[in-house]
Amino acid sequence: MIEIKNLVKHYGDKQALKGISFTVNDNEVLGFLGPNGAGKSTTMNIITGFLSSTSGTVKINGHDILEQPDLAKKDIGYLPEQPPLYLDMTVYEYLTFMCELKGVAKKERKEHIETIAKMVGIEAVTGRLIGNLSKGYKQRVGIAQALVGDPPILILDEPTVGLDPNQIIGIRKLIKDLSKNHSVIVSSHILSEIQEIADRVVIIHHGKIAAIDTVKDLSQRLSGSTKLLLSFKGPAKDAVNRLKMIQGITDVVIRNSGNLNEVEITTAKVAGDEIRAAIFFVMAKSGWPILEFRSLDPTLEEVFLSITAG
Amino acid sequence: MYAIFKREFLSYFRTPVGYVAMAIFTFISGFIFYSLFSRGIVSISNEIISLRSLFIVIVPIITMGMFAEDRKRGTEVLYFTTAGDLFSVVLGKFLAAMALCLVMFVNVFLHMIVVSICGGRVGVGAWGSVIVFFFLAALFISIGLLASVLTDNQIISAIVSFLLILVTQLITAIGAYFGTALSTLMAYMGFSVDARSDAYTAVSGAIGWFDPFAKTSQFGDGIFSVSALVFCISFAIFFLYLTFRILEKKRWSQK
Repeated sequence: MIEIKNLVKHYGDKQALKGISFTVNDNEVLGFLGPNGAGKSTTMNIITGFLSSTSGTVKINGHDILEQPDLAKKDIGYLPEQPPLYLDMTVYEYLTFMCELKGVAKKERKEHIETIAKMVGIEAVTGRLIGNLSKGYKQRVGIAQALVGDPPILILDEPTVGLDPNQIIGIRKLIKDLSKNHSVIVSSHILSEIQEIADRVVIIHHGKIAAIDTVKDLSQRLSGSTKLLLSFKGPAKDAVNRLKMIQGITDVVIRNSGNLNEVEITTAKVAGDEIRAAIFFVMAKSGWPILEFRSLDPTLEEVFLSITAG
Repeated sequence: MYAIFKREFLSYFRTPVGYVAMAIFTFISGFIFYSLFSRGIVSISNEIISLRSLFIVIVPIITMGMFAEDRKRGTEVLYFTTAGDLFSVVLGKFLAAMALCLVMFVNVFLHMIVVSICGGRVGVGAWGSVIVFFFLAALFISIGLLASVLTDNQIISAIVSFLLILVTQLITAIGAYFGTALSTLMAYMGFSVDARSDAYTAVSGAIGWFDPFAKTSQFGDGIFSVSALVFCISFAIFFLYLTFRILEKKRWSQK
């Protein structure tokens, strides 16, 4: 369990964190969401003891990171934004080094490394130099490093950044598996990713917490979008005029995309069935076939706006 | 500490760094030995004294990456986020560089064997020089580590340690320079010759006191001086402690 109270961090004049508090329960995946520069990495660096906060406390399973650092750090496995890898070592040598650093007993090392390698899917590359591995494998070695010593808490800073879709799915699955007996904090700047793996979400913006919510509640708050995208065959300007007549639509903007006509429709409230049906009938009556009709997912900025606004 | 030591020591041989340092040392020491040997006047302590000027090249090579590389690659996170104190990290790296020096020095031991086989004498002075060599190595490596912890750029780290070691080699000259400057200034101000010469002796002596080479020079003659060894060790510890503090400070920095 991690308890974070009132974290403040100054970098010179800049206040990177302006009082952040939250807790992470046992066996819970906490998503840490925010745009670049919001303070995600700073917070994670403070939790793991890499940086110190200007004020505020961090307690790891009851141990303060400053007062009992050894006990606190023992419980944490950390994957920073840039995986801390020695490129001149083989994967096996590196993991052995991590075992030594984290004080894993000599007898258990071999088995421990094998277990971890299997878990993160790097058994095939244990003999290779880390510098020669692909980015996906490097990331996995970074996660393997965090798992050495079996810490009950994992802190992963953007573990899927720069990976291809297959690797992203692999890592997500891995995190889900790990969450059965680990507390995990995962940061990301991609909303959908966090929604998929986290139980709860902390949204951080400009060094402040914008929202803490379960994924379910957050999804409800964000469910449906107020923006729809419609592409069709027919005259664009006429369509805009007719669509604007529908009640509940506040704005229709033409988006040009080649020879297709595409309009972006903004509705006053979440676009429910009625408005969508109305749009369909307008288009059908006019004889303009609809080619594509979908809601536009809110961007992270829009999420912040909607959260901070209400 | 042992984990860090092992990693750093082995990494000398995973990258060209260790080989380059060893090649330079072996080549130069072999060359010096050859030129002494061919003239038939082999003095191991003379060889070692000549080799001491190699520190200025070797030490920056073997210490430049120690902290600078860690910071650049992001691996320094590991030292901060795993249990264990940072001083043992500094010590582990220090001992790794010392161990590499020992490996390099094997060549000189070979020379000693050759000398004794050929009927030469490896006397007390030679062993004294060996001991001093390692005490000086400790001093200069600690300076190199300090230079490495100051930056995340290996080149800058190498240049800084090069300059710092250069200063230690020139300390006596620097002392004489300041002494002369002061006594010249005093001449303009109308001080007596005696006062000026006293001032010269005091200033050049005070600055020259820090010269590690002058301090340890008698060892080659077979005269052991504990105070010189204490001098090297205390400065080595001082620089290592400074390295440790700077490393630790990064964490607390609010900038």
